[in-house]
Amino acid sequence: MENIIELSNLRKVYRIGNEKVVALDNISLDIKKGEFCCLLGTSGSGKSTLLNMMAGLEKPTKGSIRIKGQAVEKMSEKKLAKFRQEHLGFVFQSYNLLPMLNAVENVSMPLTFKGISKSVRDKKSRAMLKAVGLATHEKHKPSQMSGGQQQRVGIARAFVAIPEIVFADEPTGNLDSKTTSEVMTLITRLARENNQTLVIVTHDLGIAKYADRIVHIFDGNIEKIEIINNSGEVSNEEVGSVLHDSDAVPAGV
Amino acid sequence: MNKIDLIRLAMKNFLRRKTRSILTILGVIIGTASIVVMLSLGIGMNESFNQQLKSMGSLNVIDVNTYYYPENATGMVQVKETVLDDKAIAKIAAIEGVEAVTPILQTSLKIVSGKYTCYGQIMGIDPKSLEAFDYKVASGRLLTEEDTNSLLFGSQAPYNFYNPRASGGGGGMAFFYGGSSDEKQKPSVDVLNDKLVMTFDMSYGEKKSVGFEDPQENSKPAKLYKVKGVGVLEESQDEKAWSIVMNINYLKKLIKENEKSQALNGIKSSKSQADSYQQAKVKVKDINDVEAIVKKINELGYGTNSLVSIRESYQKQAATMQAVLGGIGAISLLVAALGITNTMIMSIYERTREIGVMKVLGCLLGDIREMFLLEAGIIGFIGGLAGLVFSYGASYVLNKFAGGLFGGGSGGAGTISVIPAWLALAALGFATLVGIISGFMPARRAMKLSALEAIKTE
Repeated sequence: MENIIELSNLRKVYRIGNEKVVALDNISLDIKKGEFCCLLGTSGSGKSTLLNMMAGLEKPTKGSIRIKGQAVEKMSEKKLAKFRQEHLGFVFQSYNLLPMLNAVENVSMPLTFKGISKSVRDKKSRAMLKAVGLATHEKHKPSQMSGGQQQRVGIARAFVAIPEIVFADEPTGNLDSKTTSEVMTLITRLARENNQTLVIVTHDLGIAKYADRIVHIFDGNIEKIEIINNSGEVSNEEVGSVLHDSDAVPAGV
Repeated sequence: MNKIDLIRLAMKNFLRRKTRSILTILGVIIGTASIVVMLSLGIGMNESFNQQLKSMGSLNVIDVNTYYYPENATGMVQVKETVLDDKAIAKIAAIEGVEAVTPILQTSLKIVSGKYTCYGQIMGIDPKSLEAFDYKVASGRLLTEEDTNSLLFGSQAPYNFYNPRASGGGGGMAFFYGGSSDEKQKPSVDVLNDKLVMTFDMSYGEKKSVGFEDPQENSKPAKLYKVKGVGVLEESQDEKAWSIVMNINYLKKLIKENEKSQALNGIKSSKSQADSYQQAKVKVKDINDVEAIVKKINELGYGTNSLVSIRESYQKQAATMQAVLGGIGAISLLVAALGITNTMIMSIYERTREIGVMKVLGCLLGDIREMFLLEAGIIGFIGGLAGLVFSYGASYVLNKFAGGLFGGGSGGAGTISVIPAWLALAALGFATLVGIISGFMPARRAMKLSALEAIKTE
């Protein structure tokens, strides 16, 4: 299977006053099309920074990020916006729905940005809301919905345009455990239906279990990579050996 | 993004903070209204001035006379006198843009009807050009080229008839002023129906004063001409009102006859009064050409007089006045513009996170900028629209209640505030433009916002 995301030798250094803080160093990772990859790490490990760099929200100090063969780190802001519109979906920890829009309008946003007509996008958005189990909440404003419902709207929004890659940053961080498992089942199901690549950042090992591959990040480095096969067994990879030879290792699915 | 979606989203955002939007709009309303009302005052003044000018005479008529006072290089005024004859008239008529030219021949004659007498300046005018120079009859008809001994009376001219034998002698003078006093009296002579006789002899019909040696005592008396009135002109405020008009060709003949008979009586004049005119009138097709044609006539060596020169000096003053008035209004719109910018910046601070989310979800940078520009434009547009409504109201109130105070006397000039359609449209466009310009900096800021920083903001 082809690689959809290729990271090589990524390094990110923040300058705080006169101090240099190395957030990420020597990160090399390939993610395959249709793969569900989880970046697992504690707070401050650099996992969110890694996700942001993949989404083009942050520039690496060194190294390259290639998504669908294109160098994301070299794109202009304008090109990045277009790129995100065409290929990426995003789920946030704090849902980030627009408060003045109702559920359908929030879900339609990526389609609106693409310039799709209202009738077409309303139809797609309604179908998407139904798929996430919120058919009865179409006209609800975010303030009239619970956290779990809001996040389901957020997920519907990320998937409605059927992007090839969906990034999710702690999607269950604000949810209780019951809602968490609902949301995770939903997100996994949706991604599998359309063979979409899913990259989730979390600190919760329970969530990581839904993934095909878990990338453990510690202090800005990839500590280890676990592959979970269909039967749920976990096998460890040697970090060094997978980096540039991932084809040799069978990924899940 | 679709244009419709952009507008829809901008409207949604605009309606979100109702109080703030309304306050911002209020600023634009005040700004627009103050500009429009101020300018409408200036335009109203201009219009009533033009109306007054019009009642004084047509704006595109140039009076040509034989005296021209060009300033030479040293600033000295030279007096040049030239002859205004048929050749010169033809030359003037040939100037491009001239619609009609008529020479004007003036001579003093005495008109007698029964016991009433009138000393009149008779104007000889080319009958063809009467219409071009706005001669309109209230009763009777205008002169035609076939007319000879026909007279056209100005609206006030019939009041000139008086009875020289009336007691006090001043009785007639009451008629003279009759036109301007409140109660209209009928003139003592019905010029259209009564028999009229005209003569060059100013002492015709008067008793010879005893002991006064008349130099022409033994001379042949001046000829009497039977004339008839064919028309009375509409009322006007200009020279026409008092004039008595005759076909110029016939008047020329009369003058020549008179000169001949005077020559017989020993009074000789070196050149005939009938061959060169004291004055000519030129009608210009387009009011904007008046200045150029005045210049050309001056180059031919004739002096000119036109209401346009009065109008121009007034317009210069009025333009200064309007600039000042408009400037006062513009200051309040400038303040309103700052208000819009402030509102937009505030709203960007509040919506930083939303802007970031939109960017992450793939909203194009141009769309974000356009959305904010639209929002600012909407504030400007709605403010401008409401400002216009307010202006029309203010204008109505001014005209209704204050109009009588200032313009009551000067007939028809009662409107002191006029808002023409172009001003309304321009004000609306300007208010919208001000909104968009005010929104430009905030919109740029929103566009440049770092998406990452924005979504991190709690």
